[in-house]
This record gives sequence, structure tokens and C-alpha cells, in this order.
Amino acid sequence: MAADSDPESEVFEITDFTTASEWERFVSRVEEVLNDWKLIGNSTGNVPVKKGEYTSGTWGEKSKDINFADFKFLITHYFLKQEAEKDNEKVKQEEDAFPLAMQDLLCMKNDFPPRAHCLVRWYGIREFVVISPGANCEAIISESKCNLLHSSISISLANSGCQVPIFVQVQQKWRRMYTGECQGPSVRTDFEMVHLRKVPSQYNHLSGLLDIFKAKIGYSLSPPPPVNIAIRFTYILQDWQQHSWPQQPPDFDTLLGGEVGGVELGKLPFGACEEPISELHLATTWPHMSEGIVVDNDVYSDLDPLQAPHWSVRVRTAENPQCLLGDLLTEFFKLCCRKESIEEIMGRKLTEDEGKENSDISSALSKLTEPSAAVPIPKLSVSNMMHSARKHIRRHRRVDESPLNTDILNSVLLYLFPDAAMEKSSDNSKNKMPQSNSELDKNSDYNLFLHLKSAPSDSLTYRLALCVCLVNYNHGGLRAVAHLWQEFVLELRYRWENSFLIHGLAGGAPDLRCCLLHQKLQMLNCCIERKRARDESRKTQDGKEKERRVSGGGTQNSSPAPDTSNASASAKELSVGKSWDSWSDSEDEFFECLSDQGEAEAPQAEGEKDGSKSKPEGRLHPHNNMTLLNSSELLYVPITQEPAPMTEDLLEEQSEVLAKLGTSAEGTHLRARMQSACLLSDMESFKAANPGCVLEDFVRWYSPRDYVEEEVVDEKGNKVLKGELSARMKIPGNMWVEAWETARVTPARRQKRLFDDTKEAEKVLHYLAVQKPADLTHHLLPCILHAAILKLKEEELIEDIPSVKKTIQQATSQASKLLHPHSYDYKKLELIVIETVITQARSLKSKFAFSEDEKGEDAGELEKFVSSLLEEPEVVVIGAGQGPAGSIIHRLFVNAQRVGSLKLNFFSSDHYAALLSPLDEDLGPDRKSSGGSKVPDFPPPAGREILLRSCVPRPAPYSKALPQRLFCVLMREEFRLAGAFSSDTSFF
Amino acid sequence: MDEDTLTTLKILIIGESGVGKSSLLLRFTDDTFDPEQAATIGVDFKVKTISVDGNKAKLAIWDTAGQERFRTLTPSYYRGAQGVILVYDVTRRETFTKLDNWLNELETYCTRNDLVKMLVGNKIDKENRELDRAEGLKFARKHSMLFIEASAKTRDGVQCAFEELVEKIIQTPGLWQSENHGRGVQLTDEDAGVATCGGYCSLV
Repeated sequence: MAADSDPESEVFEITDFTTASEWERFVSRVEEVLNDWKLIGNSTGNVPVKKGEYTSGTWGEKSKDINFADFKFLITHYFLKQEAEKDNEKVKQEEDAFPLAMQDLLCMKNDFPPRAHCLVRWYGIREFVVISPGANCEAIISESKCNLLHSSISISLANSGCQVPIFVQVQQKWRRMYTGECQGPSVRTDFEMVHLRKVPSQYNHLSGLLDIFKAKIGYSLSPPPPVNIAIRFTYILQDWQQHSWPQQPPDFDTLLGGEVGGVELGKLPFGACEEPISELHLATTWPHMSEGIVVDNDVYSDLDPLQAPHWSVRVRTAENPQCLLGDLLTEFFKLCCRKESIEEIMGRKLTEDEGKENSDISSALSKLTEPSAAVPIPKLSVSNMMHSARKHIRRHRRVDESPLNTDILNSVLLYLFPDAAMEKSSDNSKNKMPQSNSELDKNSDYNLFLHLKSAPSDSLTYRLALCVCLVNYNHGGLRAVAHLWQEFVLELRYRWENSFLIHGLAGGAPDLRCCLLHQKLQMLNCCIERKRARDESRKTQDGKEKERRVSGGGTQNSSPAPDTSNASASAKELSVGKSWDSWSDSEDEFFECLSDQGEAEAPQAEGEKDGSKSKPEGRLHPHNNMTLLNSSELLYVPITQEPAPMTEDLLEEQSEVLAKLGTSAEGTHLRARMQSACLLSDMESFKAANPGCVLEDFVRWYSPRDYVEEEVVDEKGNKVLKGELSARMKIPGNMWVEAWETARVTPARRQKRLFDDTKEAEKVLHYLAVQKPADLTHHLLPCILHAAILKLKEEELIEDIPSVKKTIQQATSQASKLLHPHSYDYKKLELIVIETVITQARSLKSKFAFSEDEKGEDAGELEKFVSSLLEEPEVVVIGAGQGPAGSIIHRLFVNAQRVGSLKLNFFSSDHYAALLSPLDEDLGPDRKSSGGSKVPDFPPPAGREILLRSCVPRPAPYSKALPQRLFCVLMREEFRLAGAFSSDTSFF
Repeated sequence: MDEDTLTTLKILIIGESGVGKSSLLLRFTDDTFDPEQAATIGVDFKVKTISVDGNKAKLAIWDTAGQERFRTLTPSYYRGAQGVILVYDVTRRETFTKLDNWLNELETYCTRNDLVKMLVGNKIDKENRELDRAEGLKFARKHSMLFIEASAKTRDGVQCAFEELVEKIIQTPGLWQSENHGRGVQLTDEDAGVATCGGYCSLV
């Protein structure tokens, strides 16, 4: 710009980059990145590495995209995260030190790291930068391109003064070919690589490789500088035949077939169906050797793995081995996504039948609710009932149509409703079950149950979850589940119809801490219980009435009012002092419909308001020896109606209704009115129990705070207690007064029921009947997760794996989060992973099983060894080939070798007999002589790594002695030489 | 509901009959006081939006009846509450001694055990005090609750009580956030943990 305005004078001042080539731009970009990452300058300030730190420490990496023209590269900085120490300031001052990478080349503390970037493994460096072609970009293959790229980094390094080595990845990615460079003050290291398919025979041993190394560093000094050698051979054991996987897949047909099916049904399967450990890698290492000590050439080798001073082992686990519990859960989760309704699955015919049944039932129920036509239900034994239920079901369905085998269905139902097998009346079992359940609740997994909002283990809901899961997995999937559910609901209806309590549910109102399905079942049980109480009282009432008619003849008035009042008068004496619970069994009539009694009662109520006394009804017990204010009669607490039990969805509904009324004064008033049913009922009962009472009496029992007593001196000078209602009770037209005025004299048993068990039971049954299999799965999910976690805990307890303990905890909190609606993502469920880990531990334990005669400390050592195999990437075998673990590994290899050779020779020679001889014969010191086998103990090593290091002046004898390193990898299908050769650049 | 509301919180008010639960609530929501507040039947319900630390929170406050007899009815509404205010009357010792029962009630019927509890000693405007502040403090400390003395009549401490409670709830992780939110974080963590070796590899 400036040039334009004044071209003549300033034209020479312009620095012109307009013609800079793409290459120059690329170089400057690389420098820019190095600058950004602060890799410029002396890097020797770093902490010395500790032994094994490359594995134990954490590695960091940063990446960036850079372009060469329109070709994308990825530049990545890898580094070992080390804590910088303060006292390194001094080291920093040291000028002319070798770059860190060069020092690392010779460092022997981190040879053969079990898990590291390949460049770390080959060159032993702790920090480096790699430039590789970006994703979806073709590899750099042509020689000229490779050179160009290499030159770029050379220039960048020189320009920037960066001492961190930079590599470029060339050739196809899978070949992992890198060339690189590191520059320091007048020193340079070149990283070069050779990669071949086949190992050239002349280099297939240590001596050949030493020749290459020596030739490369080209020394000609007369006393040859010492070459440090480290060798590692890796052997792979894949053949576990002699240790066939101990877990047999359970035989599901027998699982359910027998009479003891119920016992087996309660258990979740566990374990892997296949070997979860696929390979064992044994690495035998000879660290720090000097050249003359070992001989390894094409005819002889000193390198016997048994004699290696250092052994380490790693295991490779099978990817997603088939595990029973995991499969079971996965299949169960899949059900959640099914859209079909029961009707769609089971066909229309069935539901039609059920509809017909429904109408039968409702008519039966209406018959029951008519008090005059009460049908006495014969005392059936439960098994009898079950039997008829089965027959009932079979009538509807041809056997071949049913998706679930009849035998299985029967044993499942027997497991779910075990009371059917007991030849007892349901009364007995009812009293026992809830108690044992509540005790179970108290144990250690109590928290888990709360956390997951499942149901107590051993409750019907929990058992149903297990059954649905098993039936889904083993006996026909979705259709079988639909079938089982249908049968289950049918059974519940049958129990409701015939007033048999449902077994295996804690009594009382629904437990809101449990899952909704459990609450629904409890609700149904509540209904059945109330119905039973009603039927019972009606039966006795009927009996009594009949009796009375016979004895009393025509003298008794046939109108209902005096009749009932008479009956209840006698009942009164009985019920006084009785506990609330036993009351329902008393000979009192229970909750007759208001409509029947209304007209008869009305005149009576009128009379009472006038103060005339009638017979008290429905008394529970006297209240603190108080007397009524207007008479000397004792104040009685009346028998009251129990509030309606609620499940959480009903409760939700109700609070929503209440909340919707808004926050205005009318809203508050309406809310109070809606909830006053209970208050009104209590008032009516109170009036019936205390003839001649007033509101003050009621308040003294119900809300004693609102009856204010004061000592007053009357006209005669005596101190008298004078009481009155509190100010808030005296507000004109307040709800309490209003309710008191409308309350009639009616004992609880003749009031309108606050809880309509018939309606509620039908609601529950309908709710259950319309659940799709997917809904059912959702309902049962907490129970299944609960069961699975318990199972895992139980299995873990046997194996005692610390990492699993931790993951179980994590999985538990994760599981509870999975349960929130609309967030199902079961694939992430960690439970399945835990199972795999446990089976791996089990497999390893069986492989490294120690015999009894072995010493105790060895056993302990082995145990530690096995557990660290799972936790660590590579585990050192203490005592190498001579230690307890070492000898077991040796035996494993020997057995595998012998089996392998037998297989080879099976048809050609007479080895069949040898196959029958025990393989696990004792491997004493004279093992090689025994049996005369020519089979070597170990297979040929799968990989050989040879590391050669030296410090040699290059390029000229008078140059500085600099680190030189050659890392050789020899495998079946790979031969790689990774060399780092440093040279003094002072005079060259 | 307006968009800038952070969350809706469910708050309970419980305590013996006549300690002034409804009065406290009315003072807080409507800033009114009626010395002859009618006795609550069952439960009552009020809503108020307040702003704490710049976060707007909508409070759905459930006021309950204190009568013994209603205790078969009201605990059903405890479900899902994030905070609870326990009220006693500083002029009546028995309302204080019954607090243990109320805590048991909470223990039994609340679905979450991490809910924030606040103890309020009401009616400090009255002359005939039977309980001093120290006793309330001691109780609150024993049961790890927030504590304040208040008077619905004179406004003392009422606003403060509700605000403190809400602030505490918002500070309690996992108590008020929607569960989905927490889960997402959890799972991504998991992913990172499982990440395979990438560039890191072993020899064979």
C-alpha cells in the first residue's frame, strides 16, 4: 500500500511474500504450531523419568490440522505428563546439554513399556511431535514426497530451535512407518526405519542384527565400544483345550421341568458360555546384557525362555463373550421397545373371551353388593382353586396355540403363587408372609431397594420380574411374556373374585417406596382384604338374623332400623375395648351402603339433634376418662373408617386436582371441602358413639388444642374450669362447624364407604390388563436391575475383585438413573461388563489353580498374581520361570504344545495311546528326559524384540560420543528396524 | 410458567396443630396475618415464585393439618418434596417435644432422604415464651437442620426462612436438577473411561 503511494523511494523496503511457495508456507505453519505449543528452546529442564513411569504415568496429547496446499495433515504432540520440580532450575542453566530425546535414547528405565505409543516403544522418548496425513487423506508414498516432508521438518526444527523430535508418517498407515529428526546444539539425531514382510534369514538372530548396528554406526575404533543389549521374547498361548471352560450353559429344560422348578426359578443365570480369556502373552526379558555374554546365531541360541531373568504376563480378553446374565438383561431391555399390545400378540379371540368373563364377574359382584342376596362362598382350599383356574384357562385355548409350554407355565405360576401348593387356607399363609418379608427388608440390600425403587426381594413383584425375564429369554420371548402376563392377571382376578389374598406382599397400604406395579398389587390385596372382612361380617349377620327370625318369630318388627340397631347394640359390648385390627373380625356389620339405610336413619338423626338420647353405636374405647360436657356419660372414641389406601399414581392425580384449585381463598375453601369427607365421617361416627354430644366434645378428642379451658371463679366463689372453643373454631361458617351441622348420627359401619374396594379393585385389574409387554418390562425393570446387582454382588463376593466392587457401586447409581422415564439407554449398562470381568477372574483362577499340597504363601502369591492380571496391563511374574506362577505358565505351554503336536500326528502315527495318558504329569527337573518327547516346551516366539544401544562418536572418530540406538522387531510377518543415529554437526 | 424459572420446588410445612403453619405460609405468600386463621383440613396448597441468588424458583408449598387424626391422610403428600419446614410454637413446649415424631414421620414417608429440613420456632412475638433459642438450635444441630425463629404476626424471620431453605436446596446437588440432566453427564464420563488405545499399542 505504502509502496503504491510513493513507489520510487520505498520500493526496496518491501518484504515480498507473494511468491512464497506452498512448501514455504507449510514450513512456516509447522513453526507456528511449535511456537503455539511452546516447544521452542531448550527442553532439558525436565525431571528424570522413574522406572516404569511410561506405563504408570499419564500421557497427554494435543493435535491441530495443518495444510500443505490443499492436503490435510494432522500434527500431534505427545508427551508424558510429569510434575515439574523446583530444583531443576540449576539443570536448566546448563548450556549445550543434549536434547532430552537423545538422553532418553539410552535410558534403560523404561524398556518395553507394556502400553505406549509405538514410537515410545521403539525409541524410548518421552516427548515428540508427529505429522501424519489427515483422516480420509491418502498416504505419502512416493519417495520424493517423503523427502519433501522430511525436509520441511528439518527446516522447521532448524528455524525454530525446537529440541523435541518431530516425525512424519509415511507409507500406508498400517505399516506404521515414521521418519524423524531431532536437533540440538550442534548435534542431530536421525530416526530411520526399515519395514519388511519377511525376516531376512541373515538377520534372524542377534548376531546378524549386531552386524547391522555396527555397520550403521560405522565405528572403526580399535577397542570396540560396548553395545548394550536388551531382549524380549513374547510367547502366545491360545490353546486352552486342556482347561476347557468350566461353565456349562445351564440346561433350561430341566430347570423348569421338575417339581423343584420353583427353587430354580428364583435365580438369575450367571457366567460366560465361552472362554472369556482368549490369549495369554508371556514376555521373557533379558535386560542389560553386554555383547559377549549371550550367543544367538543361526545354529545356536542361549536364549531359553525358562532361563530368562524376567517374566511378565498379560492376558487378552475375548471381545464381548456371551454371558448369561448379560444376554438375559439385553433381551429383557429389548422388550421395552416393543409396541405390541397383549391383544395384538395373543390374538383377538382370547380377549373377547376375557371380555365375556369380565361381564360375568361384574354381574357376580353386583350380586355380592346386594346385601340381601349375599352368596356364601364355600371354603375352597387354595390348591383346589388353582386347579379350577387352570382348567378355566385351558378351556379357552387350544394347547398347541399357547406360546408358553403348559408345564413351564404351571411351574412358573406355582413359583409365583406358592400358596397354591400348600394345603392350607389362605388365612394362615397371609399372616406369615408379610412378616418374613419385612424382616428381609431389614438386611443390607435395603438401601439398594430404596435406591432403585424396586420391591422387596421375595415379594411377588420381584419374583414376577425374574420369571418374566427368564420366560422371555428361554421360553419364547415376547409371545411367552404376553401369555404369562395374561395368566398372571387372570389369576389375580380369580383371587379377587374369590376373596383369596395374594401371597407374598406386605400387608397394609401400598408402600410408596416400591415400584408402581408393586403398589398396584398391594392395593388389590387391600381391596381383597376389605372385601373378605365385609363378606365375613355379612355371613355372620345373616346367620344371626336367621336365628333371630326363628327364635323371635313374629314379635320382632321387620323394619330394618330397629333390627340393625338392636344387632349393633349387642355388638357394641363386644367391640368396646377391642383393638382396631380385631374389630373387622367382630360380628359387626361393615359399611352398609348409605342408600339402604338413609331413609331409615333420617328421622332418628333429627331426633338426636333435639337432644333426645338414643343407643350409642360404634364405640371404640373411652377417651382419657373424659365425660361429655352436657352429661355424665363417658366420652368415647368412635370406631372410624380407615382412610383409603392410595398408590402413587392416584396420589399424583389427587394432588394435581387439589393444586389445580389454585391459591385463591375459594380454592382453599374448595380444597378443604373436598378433603372434609374424612372429617365428616369421623364426626358422624363420633355422634353415633356419643349420643347427646356437642361440637366441643368432638373437638376435645379431635383437636384438643382448639378447646381452651380457663379457671374462673363463679358467683359462689368456687374455682371452676370453664372451657370454650378456640377463636378459630368459632369463626362463623367455618368448615368444622358446617361439617358438624351436616353430620348425621351414623356409625362407621353404616356410612358410605370412603374406600370403594370393588371399584378400586376393578380399576387395578383393568390397569393391569391393558399393560403392554413393554409397559410390563418398564414396571419390572427396577426389580430386574435390583436382582442383577444382587447377583453380581453375590458372585463378586466369591471372587473378591476390588475393581469390580467399585464398578458395582457406580453401576448402581447409574442404574437408578436409567429408570427415569424416557431415558432408557440400556447398551451403556455397566452390569454386563461387570459380569464379564467376574467370569474373566474365574477363568484365570481356574487356570492358575494351585493344588492343596502347595505352600500357603505360594497360594497367596498366586492369588495376588491373578487379581493383578485383571487390573494391570502387564504383570511381572515373581521368580520368573522358577516361581509358582511361572511353573504353572510353563505347564500350560507344555500341555498346549503336546496337544498341538498330537493333533498334527494323529492320523499318521501311533500317538493315540499317548493322548490317553495324563497330560498333567509332574514336571520335575528331569522333565526333558521323560517321555522322550521331541516337542519343545514353548512354541516359537510370536515376537522378538531386540534393543541395541551404544554411545559412539559419529561421524568422525574425533566427534562427540553420541547416543545410538537400534530397536529390532522380529515377528512372523513383520521385520522392523527402528534406528536412531546421532551425529555431531560441528564440522559437517 | 415463565421460561426464566430455574425449577419448581416442592416444600412441605408440618408441625403440631395450632403452631401457626398456615399463618407462616400466608405471611410469606400474601403478606397477611389473620389471628383467627381457620384450622386446616387435610392439606392446603400455595404457590410463590421467589428469586434467590438471581435464580428464580417456583415454590409449590403444601401446608398440612396438624391434628393427629389427619396424619393418616397427609403423609401421602410428602412424596417428592425437596424441602420441609418443621414448625413449633415457642410458647408451648409440647409442640417442641413432639418434633421427634414429625421427623420419624418424614423418615417414613419421604421418598428421598437428602431433602433439606428447616426448623422454625414460631410466635416469638408472644410474651409467654417457654422455649429459648438455644434449645431450638440444639435440636436443629442434632438433626442437621436449618434453624430460625420467626413470627408470622410481626413478619420476623418469615421471608428469610423460606429464602434460606430454597438457597440450600439449590446448593444441594442432585436434589432439584432434572434427572436426565445428570444422567447425560454420567454417561459421557463413562465413554471417556472406556476409550480404547488410539495411538497406543503394544507389540503384538
